[in-house]
Amino acid sequence: MDRSHEHEHEHAHAHVHAEPPTEMLRLEHKLLAKNDRLAGANRAWFGAREILALNLVSSPGAGKTTLLERTIRDAGLPIHVIEGDQATDRDAARIRAAGSPVIQINTGSGCHLDAHMIAHAAEDLDPPKGAVVMIENVGNLVCPALFDLGERAKVVVMSVTEGDDKPLKYPHMFRASELMVVSKMDLLPHVDFDVDQAIENARRIRPTIQVMMVSAKTGEGLSGWFDWLERRRTTAPGSASE
Amino acid sequence: MHELAITQDLVEAVVAQCGGRRVRRVVVIVGALAAVLPDAMRFCFDICVEGTELEGATLEIEEGTGQELSLRGVEVV
Repeated sequence: MDRSHEHEHEHAHAHVHAEPPTEMLRLEHKLLAKNDRLAGANRAWFGAREILALNLVSSPGAGKTTLLERTIRDAGLPIHVIEGDQATDRDAARIRAAGSPVIQINTGSGCHLDAHMIAHAAEDLDPPKGAVVMIENVGNLVCPALFDLGERAKVVVMSVTEGDDKPLKYPHMFRASELMVVSKMDLLPHVDFDVDQAIENARRIRPTIQVMMVSAKTGEGLSGWFDWLERRRTTAPGSASE
Repeated sequence: MHELAITQDLVEAVVAQCGGRRVRRVVVIVGALAAVLPDAMRFCFDICVEGTELEGATLEIEEGTGQELSLRGVEVV
């Protein structure tokens, strides 16, 4: 603003530039209410079909897809998959080759799946009554924690190469997850990862979190994971498993 | 980032509730644990309001508690 003119023209400006009167409207509107509403609708949709829908989350490269491939091949469960990645259908191709029906969602620049995307994908996938729907979220430990998809539970996959303090650094996601699957246990001899410390850290964030250690490569711990899935499937939604 | 989705939701909510009136200011509450970056939201806001009744409006972000994320009020003409 040119201060040399301000004093001279102040009164003239007051007439010329009078702002129209404004009014404050007080609103109380929860943002993300739309996503929450759609997520609720998804939850009801899955519930009506007695489908166990799980939201699989992790950093990129923790081993979600590989774990899914093993689960599809060996668990003996009716698994349908919704895949989320920024680009390509490479993960969906792997899932298809493993033997499950799958829909790939590409988010483009998006960093998470949302309830709207899941609503459409679930409709296209059309899983039958009693199926298990695995939603493999975009590899991201931050944003997906904010977006309810209508799942029964979140399962966070964390590999032994990621550091046992991961739960402390990404508390929102670990607090939101019912089960933590520690993956790539076959690599444990090669990394400085303290399993007990990792479990303690996860419990510090969410005291009731369940923990499982697996190697999709060697098969270690997988039967425990399959049992968890079967148990979760036969437990009614909303009952205390948390 | 997801601030775009949240900001789009915000702009839609304001447009829906303001009956076509021009908006000068939007006040939102963002909790400390809401995992939303105010700067990212401001950036998205300027983009999302183009061509709407909110064009040129300022976005005021007040700090709230926990994961609170809500539209508190708007100043309309």
